[in-house]
Amino acid sequence: MKNIVKILISLLFTLQATFILGQSDELVNVCALSIGNATYLKDYKVGLSGSSVSPPSAKYNVIMNKGTMYKITVCNAESSPGQAVVKLLEGASMLGTNMKPDGSFLSAVGFQCQKTGMYTIEISFKGGLEGKAVAILSYINAN
Amino acid sequence: MKLRTIKIGTIAIVASLLIVGCSGNSNKNKTSGFEIPDSIFSDKPLMISQEAMEDIIDNISSPVEMAALLKSTGVPFNQKYLASTDRIDKLNTNFKQALNLGIYGCDLGYLNMYEKTGSVLSNMQAIKTLANELRIGQFFDFSTIKRLATNNENLDSLMYISVSSFNNMDQYLRQSNRSNISSLIVTGMWVEGMYLATQVASKAPSEEVVERVADQKLVLNDLLLILKNYKGDPNYENLVKEVEKIKKEYDNVKITYEMGEPEAKEIDGMLIIVQNDKQHIDISDETLANIINIIEEVRNKIINM
Repeated sequence: MKNIVKILISLLFTLQATFILGQSDELVNVCALSIGNATYLKDYKVGLSGSSVSPPSAKYNVIMNKGTMYKITVCNAESSPGQAVVKLLEGASMLGTNMKPDGSFLSAVGFQCQKTGMYTIEISFKGGLEGKAVAILSYINAN
Repeated sequence: MKLRTIKIGTIAIVASLLIVGCSGNSNKNKTSGFEIPDSIFSDKPLMISQEAMEDIIDNISSPVEMAALLKSTGVPFNQKYLASTDRIDKLNTNFKQALNLGIYGCDLGYLNMYEKTGSVLSNMQAIKTLANELRIGQFFDFSTIKRLATNNENLDSLMYISVSSFNNMDQYLRQSNRSNISSLIVTGMWVEGMYLATQVASKAPSEEVVERVADQKLVLNDLLLILKNYKGDPNYENLVKEVEKIKKEYDNVKITYEMGEPEAKEIDGMLIIVQNDKQHIDISDETLANIINIIEEVRNKIINM
């Protein structure tokens, strides 16, 4: 009986995940077209609820390699009230963000990596608004 | 109580079917049927949390980056480096299939990078067979990749669809509690990427390639951590022993850092961050030769399973 319940719960989550992922996969495909002269490596699908008290964020660790120029491109879902703020961190230190001091946004963040190691891509939404977005990690071709 | 549980479960499934059925999801390659994960009946605790496992698997860098590095150094393509696809029918367990799927996945990246699209088809057929055996074939868009490869169409599209197909397979495996399979695919990819790099390093050693081989020391510990999670299985235990042989050689690689302040500038609407830290690698010729040998040995064991 316990196993039947497990199967039912598993099926439920799989089907719902398929529905949600299907929508964000379309945004990934669209966003991948905007990475320019770069080669796709990974995508990060983010959907966060709004909170003005403690704005939520999603964090993704990734190993980046010395000598590679990475690019993080962010695309907001059309229906998203919030605009995605992407930060690149090394440990607790922020290396850069796509949001300028005046609150406007840059199209992407590039990173010339000189030290192989673990970095963190953090995504939140401006003003703690609810939002949906996709970030694409790519590398810029050397030749 | 039992009747009530079954009723709730039935309602949940019907509701999910209605949601999916009405979604108008245009991505037809996604889940064409129900898959019941192998591990759903297993309650064995993991040494590290599922979240930490997934994080580590996600961290390990793409083999495409290794292939790009090899190409950027001007080293020509070499078909002999690639794993033969003749032994597919000998891969008769999920363990062997997943490891070798990683091997062929890495080779696909290498082929695509050098635009050897004519050779992609036999490699893809192997990937298709193994992915179907592992019940994740629905995530690999074979027909599109085949069309792009045979028509020599846009390389970026070919690369994107190939890499994202593997990402989707990995994501699905982890969501359906089959991270054990994901860990094997990632291990196969890493070993093959290292094999390609060390073969190049043995014949035409360039500073960049040797350094990339050496700094994989950082990835090795993570790889071992995820594989040790399943050490209760004799297959994993043997694999851990093999990877530990590689790690032993890497103990002689020393990596030091010199810290610097990063600089940021805006160019054409994009923020460019330039890291000013410096990484120094100390690896002797003997250590490099040992790493080349042990990687070849481990890789050949995997492809001859």
